[in-house]
Amino acid sequence: MAQLSLRGIKKRFRETEVLHGIDLEIGDREFVVFVGPSGCGKSTLLRLIAGLDPITDGEFVLNGSRMNDVAPSRRGIAMVFQSYALYPHMDVYENMAFGARLMGLDKAEVEQRIADAARMLRLGELLKRRPRELSGGQRQRVAIGRALVRKPDVFLLDEPLSNLDAALRSEVRLEIARLHREIGGTMIYVTHDQVEAMTLADKIVVMNNGRIEQVGSPRELYETPANTFVASFIGSPRMTLVDVTRDGDRLGVANGGAVAVGAVPDAKALKLGLRPDAVHLTRGAAEGFAAQVVYTEYLGDNAYVYARLADGTLLSARTTPNDLFAPDETVTVTVAPGAAHFFSAEDGRRLSP
Amino acid sequence: MPKLRMTGRGLWITFLIVPPLAFVALFIVYPIISAFAYAFFDWQGLKRLDFVGLENFHTVLFVEPYRSWTLNAFKNNIIVFFALMVLQNGLGFILAYALWRELPGARFHRIAVFLPVVLSTIIVAYLFKLFYHPLFGVVNISLRGLGLDGLAQPWLGQSGTALWSIIAAQAWHMVGFPTLVFLAGMQRIPGEILDAVRMETESEWVKITQIVWPLVAPSATIVFTLLFVGAFNWFELPYIMGGLDGSPFGSTDVLGLYFYRTAFGNVSAGQQDFGLGSALAVLIFLFIAAIATVITVRLRAREIQI
Repeated sequence: MAQLSLRGIKKRFRETEVLHGIDLEIGDREFVVFVGPSGCGKSTLLRLIAGLDPITDGEFVLNGSRMNDVAPSRRGIAMVFQSYALYPHMDVYENMAFGARLMGLDKAEVEQRIADAARMLRLGELLKRRPRELSGGQRQRVAIGRALVRKPDVFLLDEPLSNLDAALRSEVRLEIARLHREIGGTMIYVTHDQVEAMTLADKIVVMNNGRIEQVGSPRELYETPANTFVASFIGSPRMTLVDVTRDGDRLGVANGGAVAVGAVPDAKALKLGLRPDAVHLTRGAAEGFAAQVVYTEYLGDNAYVYARLADGTLLSARTTPNDLFAPDETVTVTVAPGAAHFFSAEDGRRLSP
Repeated sequence: MPKLRMTGRGLWITFLIVPPLAFVALFIVYPIISAFAYAFFDWQGLKRLDFVGLENFHTVLFVEPYRSWTLNAFKNNIIVFFALMVLQNGLGFILAYALWRELPGARFHRIAVFLPVVLSTIIVAYLFKLFYHPLFGVVNISLRGLGLDGLAQPWLGQSGTALWSIIAAQAWHMVGFPTLVFLAGMQRIPGEILDAVRMETESEWVKITQIVWPLVAPSATIVFTLLFVGAFNWFELPYIMGGLDGSPFGSTDVLGLYFYRTAFGNVSAGQQDFGLGSALAVLIFLFIAAIATVITVRLRAREIQI
């Protein structure tokens, strides 16, 4: 069982406040991903949960007990580090046994747990090797194994895939997802990669500048982003955000045409959010935003076209590979009805039509 | 073997290598070989007499009074080595750990601990001679001030305390060196490894003995080897504080002093004997080289690439 509550968590390093009051509930067996650009405070928050740095203000409660002043080793939390942080002078077996022994487990229990972890992570062959003799992916599995043998209530993973090459990354990603299904613990995973966040998470916490921007399932974040930050952070290529003025049921870009997009919120000035699949590019259509193609990305099964609108905004659109546009070509942009997102022009918050 | 052509590059390399090589040969290799050679001859003053084979070695090792002197000096060197191992390297490790943990005032203490290392040995020796002065020394004055009159001693003037007093001065003088080397070793340990340990235990003892100590093995190799060489070459402090005879009664005599006295003579030891001195020098050299090699090889084996 693991129920985490973060209440008004603040963190200051000397004069600089890096977390400005984080409130978050994490339920048992949840896979939660903290995602955000570098410097947003996601790793700092993870370290506060681990107990590696003291909480300046606010309360962290785990299973009903206040954890603020509890030593990291007594919180029932295990962590997998970005650099894996294996003990270089111990072999794989010793790396895993070290923490288990310190918990006061007897020898048979330690051996049993290591055997289980080794089987689950396919480490059997490697138990007598030193970390230096392992590949990046193997080290990664040992680091996870070291966390597993402690049978913690909560697993923390700090950018665990960032040191692996791209091919290995998707493989280990699947591995972690499988592991979570098998052991069922609560996992908190930090990454700056939104693909990792989307594919792994039950719940994504999007952070920016020491604040939570939005919490929700991957689908919620993609379909109903709470503000322009989340809208542009989740989804690749990014959502295009363009300032428009409303004229009846049509939205216009400054000296660059106008389109009808279906129902529109009641505001004079808006930010219009367009995902690449929400727009359609045509040559010489009667009505739409005028745009000039900047470049085209051909990806085999589909293609992305980047075009500049009249006000300078770079728009990304998905097209079929059969329908490529040449640079500098002038195109007209139309929007699929109901596919647009609307945000307040003042504070960037989501508006409903 | 390819023929070495005297191209511009080859000339440059020769030009740069020959002077230091010549320097090393003239001032290091030649004297060592000479000392080896001298040890096999009989000497009168600086005049070389007959070849005597291993006679000089035999004399310093097995003929009285040389035998007792040799053993006494060697025994003292061993005491010095083990004492400094604890007082200098042991304390150095603890100081380094405290500095590394950034306890309050760490910046000040980092400088304070290393400052004595910069002082000249002469100054340190003189300073401690003053400290240990039976009547006016700060040590005895402090003890009397604390009402511990019974503990006030003529520190350098009695056999029981003289060597230990000099060892204490040496430890104070040089403790900053192992501290600095250990501190550098500790600072190389990646922060995430320490975080990983903190996730598993809060015991400083486990952290130090199971993680930090094994990971600073390269630093330990350096300071252990240098201390061993230094302890058996020890000369300046006992020379200044105890005198060339290792007074009182040879209690501060070490191999360095004994060699110097034998080879070059002094007022009380009578005539100089270059042959015996050279034999001693060769024995000291061989002993240090052999043991230092063993220490280095054994300690190297436990070093780990971080």
